[in-house]
Amino acid sequence: MKSLRMLVFLAVAAVAVVFLFPLYVAVLMALKSAKQTFDSFYALPSSLDLTNFVHAWDTSKYPTAILNSVIITVLSVLLILIISALSGYAIARGNKPLYSFFFLLFLSGMMVPFQVTMLPLYQLGKSLDMLNNYWGIVLIYGGFGVQSGVLFFTGFVRGISREIEEAARIDGCSTPGIFIRIVMPLLKPVTATVLVLNALYIWNDFLLPLLYLQDKDFRTIPLQQYFFFGQYSSDLNLAFAYAVMGLIPIIVFFLFMQRFIIKGIAAGAIKG
Amino acid sequence: MNGIGAAYAVPSGKERKPMESLKKTMRREMWYILFLIPGVLLFTFAVIVPFVTGIRYSFTNWDGISRKLTYIGWDNYVNALQDADLWTVLGNTFKYAIILTLLVNVVALLFALLLDSYLPLRNLFRTIFFLPSVISVILAGFIWSYNYSQGFPKLLSHLGMDITSPLGNPDHALYGLIIIAVWQGIGAPMIIYIAGLQGIPAELSESARIDGAGPLRVFRNVTLPLLAPSVTINMLLVLTGSLKVFDLVLVTTNGGPGFATEVISTFIYKNAFSSFKAGYGMALSMIFFVILVIVTIVQVTLFRKREVEM
Repeated sequence: MKSLRMLVFLAVAAVAVVFLFPLYVAVLMALKSAKQTFDSFYALPSSLDLTNFVHAWDTSKYPTAILNSVIITVLSVLLILIISALSGYAIARGNKPLYSFFFLLFLSGMMVPFQVTMLPLYQLGKSLDMLNNYWGIVLIYGGFGVQSGVLFFTGFVRGISREIEEAARIDGCSTPGIFIRIVMPLLKPVTATVLVLNALYIWNDFLLPLLYLQDKDFRTIPLQQYFFFGQYSSDLNLAFAYAVMGLIPIIVFFLFMQRFIIKGIAAGAIKG
Repeated sequence: MNGIGAAYAVPSGKERKPMESLKKTMRREMWYILFLIPGVLLFTFAVIVPFVTGIRYSFTNWDGISRKLTYIGWDNYVNALQDADLWTVLGNTFKYAIILTLLVNVVALLFALLLDSYLPLRNLFRTIFFLPSVISVILAGFIWSYNYSQGFPKLLSHLGMDITSPLGNPDHALYGLIIIAVWQGIGAPMIIYIAGLQGIPAELSESARIDGAGPLRVFRNVTLPLLAPSVTINMLLVLTGSLKVFDLVLVTTNGGPGFATEVISTFIYKNAFSSFKAGYGMALSMIFFVILVIVTIVQVTLFRKREVEM
C-alpha cells in the first residue's frame, strides 16, 4: 500500500510539473533577452535582468490598465452585491407570486448567452454614450451579475429564521432598518461567495471590454494585453514580460483569497 | 405568517385595528418592491432589452451600421439553416464541447479522488491545479500559442522528437485548443467534486469495504452514485460553458487554419461586427440560444432521472 501511495504521489507531482510548465516558460522568456533565448531556449538567465519589465512598463500603459481593472472590478462587484442583496431579500421575504415571477425571470436570464446580446448591447452603449467610460460598463456588469447574485442571496435569506426580524419589527424597526442592522451582518458568507466569483469573472473578462473600452485610456488588463501582444508579436521577450506583469496581481489575489474562492465555488455548485 | 399574528398579540395587549395592520403590511410590501426595483431595472437594461432588440434585428437585413433596416421575415433563419458554414461551425463547436466536457470531468474527478484521500502536499497540488483557472484566457492563449510553436518542440527535440504546433494544422488545431481549455478548466469542477466527496459519509464506503468490495467497486457502487449531483452540475457547467467558447479561439487561431476551429460564437461575432451582416448574425445567435436551451433541458432531465434511479 505504501509503495502504491508513493507511486500515486509521484504521478500527481509529475502532472503538477506539467501544469506549471507553460507558466515557467513565460517567466523564463520574460527574464531573458532575444539573443539569450536564441542561444539556449531552456537555460536559466545568467543574471537577473529586468530590462524587459522596465521596457514593458514604459511602453504599455500598465499602470493605467491596472487602475482601470481595479476601478471597474471594485465598482461592478459593489453594485452587484448591493442590488443582489436587496432583490434577494425582497424575493425571499415577499414570498408572493409576483416575487417568484421575478426570481424565475432572473434564473432564465442566465440562459441567454452573451453572444446573443452583444451587438444590441454595443448599439445601446453607443447611443447612450456608455462607451469608453467607467459607469457604462459597470452598469452592464451589474445587470449581468444580479442574475446569479439574486439566486445566491434569495437562497441564503430563506435559510435564515424570521424570528429576529419579527421581534425587531415589533420593537418599531422599519424594513430598511431591519435589513441594515439585522440581515446584512448575517449575509457575510454568501456575500463572500458572490464577491469572489464576480471579481474573478470581471477582472478576467475580455468580451465586454472589447466592445465597450476600445479607447487606450480605459482598457482593462486583458484588453490591453490583447492589443499589446498583437503589437509586439515580434519582440516576444517583451510581450512575455508584459504577460508576467499581468499574471502577478491575479496570482497574488488568488493565493490570498484561495480559501474564499474555493468555498465560493463549492457553495455555488450546491446552490446551482 | 403564523409567527406575525402571534407576535402582534404579545406586545400591545390591546386589540389593534385591522386598518392599521393592513397599512403596516402595505408599507412593508412597498419596501420590498423598492428593494427589488434596482436589480430588475439593471437586469432589464443589460439583458432583456438587448435580447428583445436582438430578436427584432434577426428579422431584418440590417448591416450593423446604416440607419435603415428592412424587415425580411424569416429569410435570415431560412438562409442560416441552408448555410453549409453554419453546420460546419456547429459541428466544430459540439465536437469541441463534448470532448472537453468529458475530458475535464474525468480528469477533475480523478484529481479530486486523489486529493481527497490522504496524499502529502495535497493542498499545494490543489493550488497548482486550480491556478490556471484564475488566469485570463487572453494570457493563457498567448502563453500556450508560444509553447506550442517554440517551447514544446524545443523540449521534445532533445528527445529526438520533431513536432510542430497543433494550432497550425487543420486536423489538430481543435485538439490543441481542447488541451488549453482542459488546463484552464480543471479547477472549478475539481473543487466541486472535492466538496461532493467530503459530503459522503465515510461509514458508507467503510462498510462496503468491510463487506469485501474492492476500491473500484466501492467507487462504482457507493461513491459515484452519491456524487451524482456534483456530476450533473459539472457536466452542465462545462458543457454550456464550452459551447459558448469565444475568447480562446479569437486569441489563438481566430477560427483558422481555414475553418478548422471556427465555432458558433466567433462565427456570430464575425457576421455581426465585421461582415456587415448584423441581421443575419442575430438570427444565428437566436438559433444558438435555442440550441443552448434545448441542451440544458435535455441534460438536466437526463441526469436528474439518473439521480433518482440511483
